[in-house]
Amino acid sequence: MRITCPFCGERELGEFTYLGDAKPVRPAADAGEDAVYDYVYLRDNIAGVMSENWYHGGGCRAWLKVTRNTLTHEISAVEPAAGAGAAKVGA
Amino acid sequence: MAEFSWDIRSPLDRALVAGPHGARGDAGVSLTEIRNFDLVQVMARRGKAADVAKAAKARFGVAAPETPKAVGAADAMLIWSGPDQFMVLSKGGKHGIEALGQAFASSASLSDQSHARVLISIAGTKARTMLAKLSSIDLHPDVFAVGSAAATSMDHTSVTLWRGNDRPDGQAVFNLLAFATFAESLWHTVLDSAAEYGVTISHSEEL
Repeated sequence: MRITCPFCGERELGEFTYLGDAKPVRPAADAGEDAVYDYVYLRDNIAGVMSENWYHGGGCRAWLKVTRNTLTHEISAVEPAAGAGAAKVGA
Repeated sequence: MAEFSWDIRSPLDRALVAGPHGARGDAGVSLTEIRNFDLVQVMARRGKAADVAKAAKARFGVAAPETPKAVGAADAMLIWSGPDQFMVLSKGGKHGIEALGQAFASSASLSDQSHARVLISIAGTKARTMLAKLSSIDLHPDVFAVGSAAATSMDHTSVTLWRGNDRPDGQAVFNLLAFATFAESLWHTVLDSAAEYGVTISHSEEL
């Protein structure tokens, strides 16, 4: 599997580290215990297209949001996660 | 209180043995460790990328790389190391951390890497063949021309790789920056990969 880093280009999987599901969003401070529990612990086990966080630690050290099909490993989109450097890409 | 005496030593002080290595005959690979350089990591603060670009242009007379490139200025090399960040490689303190601290005071965070990295210059007719064993990126001249750079990994070690100006005899030169603590490990891996082609080993103070 290769991931096309928006900053570096196509690179081998070994340069990247998988973090996990990119979908969960941190709930508001007053959202309550159940919402925080869901955010911290509950994950969907998706068989199909999934949005994931990956870290290009063996390269430019940018965080990426990768859209990947967990059945076929087909990657349909890679974009920088929010943070330094992100503003420039696609702008 | 104990008294310390700090000596500046190359990370390859013990491992590097100047002279021939590996197969006999004409050496296909030459490895030169570059010692005593100034290296400063420049990282734009959030929203300050344009200010950093302006400060870099004013300081070096050339635009800092915004894509994986290495840009030569009159007395420094600006090497891309990630989005909105680059490294300044120079000699003699003119572009050391103190000097650059002034230039980028309001726009970037700086980190002195002078003694934190090892710099190895790789050339020779078999340089690219040897590097193909270590790197998964395409170093063919059509793709990786003079001035190309990459933040990548070799032997599970993060490295910054860029292609310098060709030697007078036309041979490509690949420069490799790696963390000092990984220097010996990577050095042995490079030597093992290059041994079959014959190696000439040296060190230099010249960038």
